Amino acid sequence: MASVYSPPGFNFSNEIRNNFLLEKGLPLPKATSTGTTIVGCLFKDGIVLGADTRATEGPIVADKNCEKIHYITENIRCCGAGTAADTEFTTALISSNMELHALSTGRKPRVVTAMTMLKQMLYRYQGHVGAALVLGGVDATGPHLFTIHPHGSTDKLPYVTMGSGSLAAMAVFESGWRADMSRDEALNLVKAAISAGIFNDLGSGSNVDACIITATHTELLRNVEMPNQRVEKERKYAFRRGTTAWKNQTVRDLIVKEELTTVGAGPGEAMDTT
Amino acid sequence: METSFAITGKGYVIVAADTTASRSIVKMKVDEDKIKTLSPHLLMAYSGEPGDTMQFAEYVERNIRLYQIRNLYALRPSAAASWIRRSLAESIRSRKPYAVNLLLGGYDTATHTPHLYWVDYLGTMTEVPFGAHGYGSYFALSLLDRYHDPEASLEEGLATLKRCIEEVSKRLVVAPGNYKVKVVDKNGVREVEL
Amino acid sequence: MSIMELNGGSVIAMVGKDCVAIASDLRLGNQALGISANFQKIFPVTDRIYLGLPGLATDVTTLRERFRFRVNMYTIKEEREIEPETFARLVSSTLYEHRFGPYFIEPVMAGLSKTPSGGYKPFIAAADLIGCLNFAKDFVVAGTASSKLYGVAEGLWEPDLEPEDLFETISQTLLNAVDRDAYSGWGCVVHVITKDKVVTRTLKGRMD
Repeated sequence: MASVYSPPGFNFSNEIRNNFLLEKGLPLPKATSTGTTIVGCLFKDGIVLGADTRATEGPIVADKNCEKIHYITENIRCCGAGTAADTEFTTALISSNMELHALSTGRKPRVVTAMTMLKQMLYRYQGHVGAALVLGGVDATGPHLFTIHPHGSTDKLPYVTMGSGSLAAMAVFESGWRADMSRDEALNLVKAAISAGIFNDLGSGSNVDACIITATHTELLRNVEMPNQRVEKERKYAFRRGTTAWKNQTVRDLIVKEELTTVGAGPGEAMDTT
Repeated sequence: METSFAITGKGYVIVAADTTASRSIVKMKVDEDKIKTLSPHLLMAYSGEPGDTMQFAEYVERNIRLYQIRNLYALRPSAAASWIRRSLAESIRSRKPYAVNLLLGGYDTATHTPHLYWVDYLGTMTEVPFGAHGYGSYFALSLLDRYHDPEASLEEGLATLKRCIEEVSKRLVVAPGNYKVKVVDKNGVREVEL
Repeated sequence: MSIMELNGGSVIAMVGKDCVAIASDLRLGNQALGISANFQKIFPVTDRIYLGLPGLATDVTTLRERFRFRVNMYTIKEEREIEPETFARLVSSTLYEHRFGPYFIEPVMAGLSKTPSGGYKPFIAAADLIGCLNFAKDFVVAGTASSKLYGVAEGLWEPDLEPEDLFETISQTLLNAVDRDAYSGWGCVVHVITKDKVVTRTLKGRMD
């Protein structure tokens, strides 16, 4: 009998069956991946993170406007590239652990703490959890920007890019980044870097998301640039009602009909309330 | 090669399976009964890996019987089919899975309806008006698509089954020789001669 | 031939004006051989949530049983019905739990979620086989005909369709997409969910 609670960690019960199917010559289907351009850069007052919004399944665009900037804590955010489910669940788990850590220490969480938790987890899974991350935030020790690779290695740099569009985005950073930029300069540079990914890398596309983190405030700019808006269709493509032939129909009524029948006390026998 | 068919009709299910037990290219036995009677109103035709088929069929047979002894009533066809499917779905996740394909024909004495389930070794299950396993299925299914009638009498049903067997004998290179045919209806299970 | 093509099958869900629709084909195959023309892949979870499970047929049944169990446990413990957003997370985490030995299913969910004002808001979502959720505003697709469904739906879908118009749009999208997929078809079923009723229709489709 299955337990109400499943034990923590991954469940390998399908492993034998799946290997058996694999041996029959049936390859595993593809998981959604975020082809992705994600970037981060340091500026005078903090960090700007940026991401595109395309999710792909092989050559198919699975989601045209997904969110790749994940919440870790109020002052720390993380961009994810690679296997979409892995980036989603890894950041959610670390976010949860960071909250517990902050509660138990009673201090504002630090970016290095999140970075260490993430790299230790990814190293433990030896690259099988396919998350490539850009982690940024501002804490008591100042602004910090990291990249974390799927195998658990990390870099600490003033400007970083990751994902399939990283080369295009890095080209923009290399030519445009300066130390101590203003907020607007940094945001414009990030927008330009992500746009370079959107327009030059097939794995990246749609809109630009950005996030500005300073010592006092975090601002998520969802869809800050939308260079690929679809124009309204010039014609209506709705079908005339009755186009589709159907064989039978069942209707499940969700309105609960209630009827009250008074039993016993008639109108003449009202309760004595004196 | 192993072949089994089953068809539903008006108040009955006919289940037929070949009677050959073969090993590689050698026929070891020609009168093997590959249809088990699981309960008074439930039949199961099984095929697949020789050792697995017997072991699994007997395991199912004894467990369905145990349920009947404990609860006085036998499982209804849909419930029995679900339990058997689950056994196979758990087996495929083990180190030595059963490679057994099934056709489950039963008569539900509560609703007075015949039911037929097509089940394979992966734990795939679906209720069908007619079904088949083995190489014969490639011929029988297309034939049954044309000639099956859910309202057919038992005689008509048996005639349709005969067409299936004849078609397989005529066109399949490795066609089996003999078949055992069983029927389940409101009176229970019985074997019929074609 | 991948594992997803072993049994075939496709599901699509669409958002309309105060309604949602979810539809699937009815084929169950064993590679190229058709076994059943009445294999249901869409299941009711609550009155206003429907779940579509295209993929490997054995996992369709196994996951259907698993989700029914987990939703029942949720309902008993919480003493209320599960909301579509919560159910989507339940599906997602169940699949991600099997990250390194997945179920070969790409679920599609459609439902109406309660708003604080007492109204109902359309909700659709899809997940890949390891539980990465996709909350779309327009439509979601999955299964062997997904590439075709994306194209047709992109062309035919428009916002704020009334339930009857949504039925036509989703039906035509599915029928025409599965006609170009060898592994899907053999009839279709469409569920249109509105705040006071669910209309289920079986479509007349090509049987090749």
